[in-house]
Amino acid sequence: MSLVCRDLAVEYSACGNAVRPIDRLDVEVLDGELALLLGASGCGKTSLLSVLAAILRPINGSVRLDNVEVTGLQGRALNDYRQHKVGLVFQAFNLIPSLTASENVQVPMRAAGVRARAARRRADRLLAEFDLHARRGHRPGELSGGEQQRVALARALALDPPVLLADEPTAHLDYIQVEPVLELLRKIADEGRSVVVATHDERIVPLADRIVAMSPRPPERGQVTSIALDAGEVLFNQDDTGELVYVVERGEIELVRVRTDGGADVLTRHGNSAYFGELGPMFGLRRSATARATRRSQVLGLPLSEFRRRFGGRSIANGSAQPPAWSEQNAA
Amino acid sequence: MAWLISLRDLQWRRRRFAIGVVATALVFALGLILSGVSASFNNEIDRTVDSFQADAWLVRAGTLGPFTAPTTMSESRVEMVRRLPGVRRADPVLILGATTTTPVARNLNMVGVVPGGVGWPAGAQGQSLARPGAAAADASLGLQHGERLKLNGMNLRVADVTHGMTYFAGIPRVTVSLRQAQRLGIGGRRLATAIVVQGRPARVPSGFTLLENKDVAKDLERPIAQAKDTISFIRILLWLVAAGIIGVIVYLSVLERIGDFAVLKAIGVSVRYLVAGLLIQAALLSLLSGLLAIGLQALIAPAVAMSVEVPLTTFLTMPVVAVVVGASASLLGLRRALAVDPALAFAGAAR
Repeated sequence: MSLVCRDLAVEYSACGNAVRPIDRLDVEVLDGELALLLGASGCGKTSLLSVLAAILRPINGSVRLDNVEVTGLQGRALNDYRQHKVGLVFQAFNLIPSLTASENVQVPMRAAGVRARAARRRADRLLAEFDLHARRGHRPGELSGGEQQRVALARALALDPPVLLADEPTAHLDYIQVEPVLELLRKIADEGRSVVVATHDERIVPLADRIVAMSPRPPERGQVTSIALDAGEVLFNQDDTGELVYVVERGEIELVRVRTDGGADVLTRHGNSAYFGELGPMFGLRRSATARATRRSQVLGLPLSEFRRRFGGRSIANGSAQPPAWSEQNAA
Repeated sequence: MAWLISLRDLQWRRRRFAIGVVATALVFALGLILSGVSASFNNEIDRTVDSFQADAWLVRAGTLGPFTAPTTMSESRVEMVRRLPGVRRADPVLILGATTTTPVARNLNMVGVVPGGVGWPAGAQGQSLARPGAAAADASLGLQHGERLKLNGMNLRVADVTHGMTYFAGIPRVTVSLRQAQRLGIGGRRLATAIVVQGRPARVPSGFTLLENKDVAKDLERPIAQAKDTISFIRILLWLVAAGIIGVIVYLSVLERIGDFAVLKAIGVSVRYLVAGLLIQAALLSLLSGLLAIGLQALIAPAVAMSVEVPLTTFLTMPVVAVVVGASASLLGLRRALAVDPALAFAGAAR
């Protein structure tokens, strides 16, 4: 069984703005593999997990678990997928506080129609396997963070799903608590499951069979380039990956953010000698706005290293280069 | 599973649940008491009409009834009525309002009946009432057997204590002989306000209106109709308040459990389990409140000045109605729970 994503794009609305954390993503996780989704906050790790869990629907692309197209599931088939095909582990454990550890593990089984006694036996067996037998009658509030996360892992495996999705499973754990959780994640993968872990915790990296960099730094390329734009011509689009920082040599560039409703807001306009678009290449982020010329303009595209060399410590300033005559002199 | 999660959650939030049950039970109890008061109005009317053991009533033409319009007629006209075909027995009665100062100043309903005639109490009650200066007084007046009763300024002796003999919303009835009533109320003139008949007169004599018992019941009901309507309206308001309490408790519970619902949805728990769980909570809250209300009303009712006679059917239907009210009240919470996005489960700390 393998989990395959092709040409995946996810978009959602944040404060009315269309945000596309994932665009044209391909990922494949095989049986017995532990794959890490690594990246900074906001890069789309959790969005990808939500898509894999069939909780969030992508705007483009496919997710297939063997021959089943996950993105098209609905109704009973969707519930069945969530119950039997994927197990979920959440960053904040998300156990039901009123239920004991054993009852928390029983919930997915009872929801899937497993009889109470069989569910209890299976829950207690899983908890014993995770060294929590003595804690099975305790509520989450009486358990440590590590114990809660192991209960959450037991819950995720209650119906023996082939895929385990874990969102920052070590985020709230200290180095003592994290050890058994890491061991369990590896063990769960070794048993033949596909395990996908979204994290920015590099302690997990040595365990991984596959690492998916969710905020890839594009290889620096290109030369200092002077670009001529006609009025209305687009320099780059929102959600594009960024490679160059731009300095306006002549004319005016406006930055426009596309709203969810299809409209657009003009964020700012840059005139002669102002620079923009440095955050994308600097932090591996997608462009957060579209840049287009309001009139006939000339911009200078700089690779990050060249931009840093020329601007130094002022490189994340307010977008105004000093002195105004600089760009013209150096662009030549 | 819905039971497991619901019961555990109720245990988890037991203090709030207990407060909710007590508050709702108090409201339900008030509703029961009002039901009892309203039912007692109907019951006292039935008892009053039945106490005359009459089949028909003759009052002066144009009069709506013997209790609300004390228009008088000569008592001698009863002779003519007795001769009518179909009449087995007929006697005059005098029904008037009166006042007393024993044990405290208050209004009374005075009924004068011919000793041994239609409407006269049977057996020992009737014998004791036949003595001069004797009166049968309702227990709600607060006088014991043998105590002095000052009626319209004249002294009588309580020869019999009746129970539930009130009308016009709990005003006690005092029954005396017709002669006594005439002395107390109309200066001894031989007048009556109605003729009570056993049997069915073949025709209605000129100058009379014939009333059935149901017409007389309507006559007794008319003055208190507004009070009954008001009570019914307040009862509806109380049901709404109870529904509001249950609704708020369930809704707050849903708001606090948004994270739980998101997780449950995310791990594939069907929506019907969530709905069932909330309905179970609302039903349990309502049912326990309803049962507690039955006990509470028994404690509160004796402190109510008016008679409280909660019908057995109300007790039996109370739990069902309570559950329906609770389930309806939880609809808003259900709607909120159904709208929870399972993606919230991934949104960091859910609680």
